[in-house]
Amino acid sequence: MKRISLLVSLIPLLLLSSCGDKLELEQHAYAVVIGLDTNDEDDNLIDVTFQIANPQVGSTDTGAAANEPPSDIVTFTTPDLLSAKELANSVITRKISFDHLNTIIVGEKLAKTPLFHHIIASAMIDPEIRLENTLLVSKEKASDFIDANIPKLETRPHKYYFYMRQRWRDTGFVPLSDLNRYFQRLSGDLYLAIYATTEKNEEVRKNEDHYVAGQIPQKSGDPVQMMGSAVFKNGKMIGILTGEETRMSLLLRQKPLSHYAIQSFTDPINNDYRISTQIMMNGKTRVKIDASSDIPDIKVTVPIKVQVFSNPSLTNYTTNLKHQETLKQSIKNELEQIAKDLIQKTQEEFKAEPFLWYLEARRQFWTNHEYEKYNWSEKYSNANVDVKFDVKIESFGAQMKPEVIRDTGKD
Amino acid sequence: MSIFEKNQKANEEKPTQSNQQQEPESLSDDILLNISKLKTVFSFPANNALKIRNLYLPLYEKNVTVLFIEGTVDGHLIDTTIIEPLQKKPNSPLPKIDFISMLITTVLVTSTTKIITTLDDATMDLLNGNTIILVGEEPCAISVETAKFENRSVSEPTTETTIIGPKAAFNESAAVNRSLLRKQLRNPDFICETVKIGKQSSQQVSVMYLKNIADEAIVNNVKKRLKDIETDTVLTLSQVDQYIEERSYSLFPTTLMTERPDRAASFVLEGHVILIMENSPTALVAPTTFWSFIQTVEDQYLRMPHGNFIRIIRLVALMIALLMPALYIAVTTFHSGMIPTDLLLSIAATRERIPFPVFIEILIMEVSFEILREAGVRVPNTLGPTIGIVGALILGQAAVEANLVSPILVVIVSITGLASFTVPDVSFNITVRILRFVFLFVAYLFGFFGMAIVAAFLMAYLVSMKSFGVPFFAPLSPHLPSSKDLMTRPPIKKQWLRPLSMSPNQKVRSSKPKGMQNDD
Repeated sequence: MKRISLLVSLIPLLLLSSCGDKLELEQHAYAVVIGLDTNDEDDNLIDVTFQIANPQVGSTDTGAAANEPPSDIVTFTTPDLLSAKELANSVITRKISFDHLNTIIVGEKLAKTPLFHHIIASAMIDPEIRLENTLLVSKEKASDFIDANIPKLETRPHKYYFYMRQRWRDTGFVPLSDLNRYFQRLSGDLYLAIYATTEKNEEVRKNEDHYVAGQIPQKSGDPVQMMGSAVFKNGKMIGILTGEETRMSLLLRQKPLSHYAIQSFTDPINNDYRISTQIMMNGKTRVKIDASSDIPDIKVTVPIKVQVFSNPSLTNYTTNLKHQETLKQSIKNELEQIAKDLIQKTQEEFKAEPFLWYLEARRQFWTNHEYEKYNWSEKYSNANVDVKFDVKIESFGAQMKPEVIRDTGKD
Repeated sequence: MSIFEKNQKANEEKPTQSNQQQEPESLSDDILLNISKLKTVFSFPANNALKIRNLYLPLYEKNVTVLFIEGTVDGHLIDTTIIEPLQKKPNSPLPKIDFISMLITTVLVTSTTKIITTLDDATMDLLNGNTIILVGEEPCAISVETAKFENRSVSEPTTETTIIGPKAAFNESAAVNRSLLRKQLRNPDFICETVKIGKQSSQQVSVMYLKNIADEAIVNNVKKRLKDIETDTVLTLSQVDQYIEERSYSLFPTTLMTERPDRAASFVLEGHVILIMENSPTALVAPTTFWSFIQTVEDQYLRMPHGNFIRIIRLVALMIALLMPALYIAVTTFHSGMIPTDLLLSIAATRERIPFPVFIEILIMEVSFEILREAGVRVPNTLGPTIGIVGALILGQAAVEANLVSPILVVIVSITGLASFTVPDVSFNITVRILRFVFLFVAYLFGFFGMAIVAAFLMAYLVSMKSFGVPFFAPLSPHLPSSKDLMTRPPIKKQWLRPLSMSPNQKVRSSKPKGMQNDD
C-alpha cells in the first residue's frame, strides 16, 4: 500500500516538470535563413530578416497548401537578434524556432562595423543558434538578398543553401565558413566568409576564376552569385578576395579542405589559348616556419597533381617531352605568381594571414605566453614568404596511342 | 528501488504444512468389498465411467474382476492381453507358485504389470489408464498398463517456426514429448524424474535433466518449487510455470516455454532443467536467462556469419519494437533539431491538419495495432481475411485521409509492429509491447532524458533479477566464462565451454580448440 501511494504521489511531480511548456512540431515557425543589416536611420539598431519555411509547400503532397508561398520573409528593426525573435511573434502566428536555422546572411555594410561582432556573439546565448550555421556576406543589404534569392530549381529555401554548401566545399571558389570557424579566428588571423550577391556587374575575363560575386557573366538562371570571400579581421570585415585568391588561400593551408579543383592556365606554347586542368593535392601542404628572429621565414611547399582536361590549342603535349616540361614550368610559375600576389596582398592590405600558418608558428614556442608575446600576426606582415609548387603532371588529356614503355635500364 | 523489489514467493517461506498422513486403506481379501469400495470412489453407477467385467476362470477355478475407466484405456489391448490369456489354456505347465505371481509371470502377456495393495493406488492407476485385476480371496490386485488417451500426432511447430532444422513439435501427450526428447538425447544420464502436483486430481510433472551436467542445486530448487505447489488441480504447464516463478508481478518472464524438442534438448545440454506435463504441448525450461528470449535455434543451425546476421537483425528489431514510437515522440516534441529539415517540414505540414497532440495520435495508432493483433489471434479462422482488410484500413490510408494520423506515423507504427514480431518468445514479446507504452509515456513527458532514466531503471531491475538462482543477464553480467553465445555467437567449434552461470558439473563440451587464447 505504501508503495502504491508513493507511486501515486509521484504522478503530479511528472506533470509539474518543466517540460509542460513544450510545443508540438507544427506549432513552431522554423526560420531557415536570417539576414542582418544595419538600420538606415539608427546605426545602433539592426534590421533582422527572417526567412521562415512554409512546411505546406514543397514538402509533401498530403499536407500541401496550394496558394501559399514557400517561405515567409519578414524584417524587424531591433537592437539585437534575440529581441527580434521575440518581437517576431507579434506578426508571426507560430513560435519562432532557430532549430533549423541554416544560414546567417550579413549585409556588407553591417559586416564592416564593429556592431556585427557584438550582435553575433551575443546571439550565441540562444542554444538554438548552432555553430555549424553558415555565415555569408552579401554585397547588398541582406534583406534585399533574401528577397531576391528565388532559386529556380529549389522551392524550399533551406534546400538551396544545403546544396550550395556542398558545392562550395568541392570547388573552393568560396571558403567553408561557419560560425565555429568565425569564433576560432578572432584573434589576429583572417577569417574568410562566403561572399555573395544578387547585384550583377558583369565583366568577361579570360581567367575563369578571377571574379568576385556579381562579376560572373551569366545569362538567366538563379539570381545569386557566390564567388570569392569576405575577409574578416577581429570580427570586422576588411576586404574581399576573388575566387582565385580564395582558392589559393585554401590551397596554402596545411590541411586543404578542397581536394580537387578545375582551373585553367595560359597555354605556354600558344598564349591565345588556355589549358584547363584538374588540380589535386598530392599529399599535404608543407609549411616550415622559422620564428626565431623578428622577421620570420616561411617556406611553403604545395604538392599538386595536374590532369590536363582540355587543350583547345591542340599543341602536342601528349608525346612531346619538351612541351611537357614547358607546360609544367608554366603552371608552376603561374601558381607561384598567384600565391605571391595573394601573400603580398595579405601582408600589405590585411596585415594578417588566412592560411592558418599561425598553427605552425605557435608550435615554435614552448609556451602560449611566448607565442603571444611574439605577436605573430604583426610579424607576419614583414615575413619572408617563399611558396613553391611541386607540380606533377599526371596526364595530358585525350590519349590516342598507348604509351610506349621505355626500358630505363635501371632494373 | 524498493518498489522493484520482488515479492518473494510466499510458499517458499512458509513452513510446509504437515500433511495429515493417513494410513492408506489396503485392499481386503474380500473381492466384493474391494469392488464396492472402488464403486463408491467412482460413484458407480451414477458415473458410468468405471467398467467392471466379472470373469470366472474354470481353468484355475477362480473368480476374477477386471476394472478399467472408459476413455483411458485401449479396449483392444485389454481383450488381447488380459481377457484372452486368462481364459485360454496355457501351453506350458503352470509353475507351482501363488496365483497372483503365476498370473503375472506366465499368463499376462503385457509389458508392464505390477502388484498393488492399497485402494488409493488402485484408484490412481485406474485414472491413469491401467486395468486393475482383482482376484478373489487375495488382498492385492494386479495393475496392467493399458493406457491409451486420445492424442493428435506429432506436427510442425506453429509458433517457433524455422526455415531449416527439425520440424517436429511437442504435442499434448507427455509420453510423446518425452520420447521426442529421448530421440534427441540418447544418453543414460538423461534423467526423468516425476513429481506429483495438485492435491485433488494429482498430475505428474516430468523433471528432465542431464545428471552429469545439470547443477544439483538448480534441479532440487525446481523440484522443491514443484512440490510446494498447493492447489487442488493444475491443468497445464503454463499454470505450473506461474506457480513456480519467483516474481508474479514482474513484466519479465523467468521461464521459457518451447515447443521444439531440439531447442529443449539444447537447453538440457547446457544444464537446464526441462519440465514436461500431460496436456501441455510445450516444454518448460528453467532457469532462463535474457538471451534465451532473443535467440532462436536457427541462429545455431545456420553458419556462423549467417546466424549472427539474423541475430543482429533481431536485436535491432527488438530495439525498434521497444523504442521507435518513443524516439519519434521525443524527437518531435523536444529535440526537433535532430530531424533533417526536409523531414521536419513534411511532418509539420501533415501535422498541421491533425487535431490531436502527437502523443494521442501515436496512442490511437498503437492501441489500434494492439487491438488488431489480439483480434487476429481470437478471430475464428473463417473470418481471418476480414481482419486483414479492416486492419489495413485502420492502420493505413484511411486513417491518414481522415486526418486522424500523419502518414509518417503509419510508417512508425508499422515498422514497430513488424519489428515486434521478430521477438521469438511469446511472453517476452508481450513484455516488449507493454514496455513500449512505458517508454512512450516518459518520452512524451521528458524526451530523451526520460527515456534514459527509464532505460537505466530497467537495466538495474533486469540485472538484479534471478531465475532459479541464475542472474537474468548471466553470463554477461555478472560476467562468467561462457562460449559467448550471447548477442552474437562464435563459430560452433569455439563453443567448447558451457555457460558457467549454470554451474554445470561438466564445464566443457570438448577440449579447448587449438589457437584459442584463454577464454575470459
